[in-house]
Amino acid sequence: MSDAFVRVDGLHRSFDVSRPWLERTLSGRPRETLKAVDGVSFAIRRGETFAIVGESGSGKSTLARMVVGLLTPTAGDVVIDGVSMTGRADRSRRKELRRRIQMIFQDPFASLDPRWRAGPIIAEPIRAFGLADAREADRQAADLLRRVGLDPADARKYPHEFSGGQRQRIAIARALAPKAEFLVCDEPTSALDVSVQAQILNLMRDLQDALGLTYLLISHNLAVVRHMATTIGVMYLGRLVEVGPARTLFAEPRHPYTRMLLDAVPDLAMTGRRRMAVLGDAPNPIDPPAGCAFHPRCSLATDRCRAQAPALRDGVACHLVD
Amino acid sequence: MTSGPVLSVRDLKVEFASRRGVLRALDGVSFDIGRGEVLGLVGESGAGKSLTGAAVIGLLEPPGRIVSGEVRLLGERIDALPERQMRAVRGRRIAMVFQDPLTSLNPLYTVGQQIEQTILAHLPVSRREARRRAIDLLKEVGIQGAERRADAYPHEFSGGMRQRVVLALALCAEPDLVIADEPTTALDVSVQAQIIALIRKLCLERGMAVMLITHDMGVIAETADRVAVMYAGRIVETGPVAALVGAPLHPYARGLMAAIPRLDGDRERLAQIPGAMPRLQDLPRGCAFCPRCPENFAHCHVERPELVTRGEHRVACFLYGDGLADRAGDDGAAPAPEMDGAPGEAVP
Ligand SMILES: Nc1ncnc2c1ncn2[C@@H]1O[C@H](COP(=O)(O)OP(=O)(O)O)[C@@H](O)[C@H]1O
Ligand SMILES: Nc1ncnc2c1ncn2[C@@H]1O[C@H](COP(=O)(O)OP(=O)(O)O)[C@@H](O)[C@H]1O
Ligand code: SF4
Ligand SMILES: [Mg+2]
Ligand SMILES: [Mg+2]
Repeated sequence: MSDAFVRVDGLHRSFDVSRPWLERTLSGRPRETLKAVDGVSFAIRRGETFAIVGESGSGKSTLARMVVGLLTPTAGDVVIDGVSMTGRADRSRRKELRRRIQMIFQDPFASLDPRWRAGPIIAEPIRAFGLADAREADRQAADLLRRVGLDPADARKYPHEFSGGQRQRIAIARALAPKAEFLVCDEPTSALDVSVQAQILNLMRDLQDALGLTYLLISHNLAVVRHMATTIGVMYLGRLVEVGPARTLFAEPRHPYTRMLLDAVPDLAMTGRRRMAVLGDAPNPIDPPAGCAFHPRCSLATDRCRAQAPALRDGVACHLVD
Repeated sequence: MTSGPVLSVRDLKVEFASRRGVLRALDGVSFDIGRGEVLGLVGESGAGKSLTGAAVIGLLEPPGRIVSGEVRLLGERIDALPERQMRAVRGRRIAMVFQDPLTSLNPLYTVGQQIEQTILAHLPVSRREARRRAIDLLKEVGIQGAERRADAYPHEFSGGMRQRVVLALALCAEPDLVIADEPTTALDVSVQAQIIALIRKLCLERGMAVMLITHDMGVIAETADRVAVMYAGRIVETGPVAALVGAPLHPYARGLMAAIPRLDGDRERLAQIPGAMPRLQDLPRGCAFCPRCPENFAHCHVERPELVTRGEHRVACFLYGDGLADRAGDDGAAPAPEMDGAPGEAVP
């Protein structure tokens, strides 16, 4: 995709989850590695919201942290606006890139320093990136507070004086402060009540429209993802099993896992539609099933599924979809 | 057995004494749950759902205390029992399931041992019979290979399987009532679907009453027979699930439904409710939802609405009658005069 703003290329990340050396030696256990992200590729166009959805442990946060450069990939690369996040050659351009990529986390309380007031929290990145002097940074912080729906007078308050939704607004203002263009949002509304979630999702959309932001949105909530995304990727045990436009992906799911997930979502419309029963639990990622990792839970699995992992082809990784 | 409700809660009020005065966290909560019925208690965090569960089961943490109202289990009052008797009610007749299954499980014993011990503590059966029943219960909650898995420890189970074990533990003493506080909130959606189906099945097959506490309207839609929506320590609307989820009346319940993103929806914006639920120390004088309500009018600021009947619903909102006949036709009760001040108002 030539018009990609963000390109994620064959990303892998393993973690060493071995027992301590002594225990291993005594029990004769081998080293163990966990493949949290196992070969993920996708591209995001400028101004788009690309969402990753999947159940816990599927590797979403690990992927997000690699995309913003908080975690080094075991293999693969992330290229943002032509600059590689890993290649040596791009080191100097990468520093400038860091300013343009920011991350928002699930728990805004943990990500805001409780000893700082809201104003300095937001102004800090402006100064740190040398974008303005202290006074101008404070002025911009006041503007940003207004922009995210707070009062400039809130600059003097500490994080604990805000509600959860207001704290998330502050986290968004801080992310925008260095004139970020690409926001990676990891479960940004998962800790919020639905009435507040709606406020934050609407705000994220408004900001995107006004500032031309590009989002990578990570969520376990299919409806949130459906509401926000232009493109959706479904992750299962470290891999993308299906990718497609938000409009069609959930209306015509092709991968059996996508179908199972959709059938598991409570039916708020209470249509009483018949749904596929959900089978079993997600397997242990340290010892994933051979072949297609979904095969033990898949009612359609064949011998080929048990032996050979399907590649993501034409937006879906399943042997039975052609 | 009596033919009345399994659980009957009437005008329950719970207060916390604090340095800044008395905070009223539950203010006049009333509901019934019948045999084989799931009542969904839904609302956003801080609404008072868990507190309602804790008050029913006698587990309010001091300084929280029931200041008035009644809790009846099969007709018998249990809100003022001595702790020793209450403990017997808790283990035997009311079981509790929490969000985190590990709070209900002892890591040092196998799940089989824990279930056996609980059975032996409550029922006059032999050790061998307890073992047999434990395995039957594990089968009933859908644990594959129950004979073998009974000898495994809690940490050897996945989150969803642990919650199944907790349900088995809850069933040991054949309780009349199960209170499940956010039982699927920590689970993935695929596992949640399984646990929801299991709770429904157990409730129907065993004829238990279930009080299902959740913040998730989706879980309510799938599980509950009747729903009570809570806001700021009060029930603001109740009704059969289809009526409540399909056509809520209270502006808060309507706002809540409209704020939920939909899988099929192509809406540009979600309806949003401005602001957040008030803290107990700054509850408004009239309707607690008034500051966030798009439909509030002068009267809402001064008086607190009581529940009135509207078709299948009971709703506490002045849009639905009680003297304001020019705004909405009334078929409900007359407003109860408030003698004891506004809800949650600090009383020195
Ligand atoms: N630092 C780490 N060390 C070991 N394992 C990890 C680490 N971070 C994540 N994992 C494992 O990687 C897998 C994916 O985790 P994560 O990316 O957090 O998933 P998600 O965000 O989709 O829930 C999980 O099995 C998790 O336990
Ligand atoms: N120990 C306590 N002291 C003072 N207030 C409390 C205490 N415990 C709970 N509350 C208050 O009671 C209200 C209801 O809490 P809770 O029942 O836990 O809400 P929910 O379960 O609906 O999220 C909240 O406003 C909470 O702050
Ligand atoms: S009583 Fe008034 S303020 Fe309260 S919900 Fe009804 S219309 Fe809104
Ligand atoms: Mg995560
Ligand atoms: Mg609670």
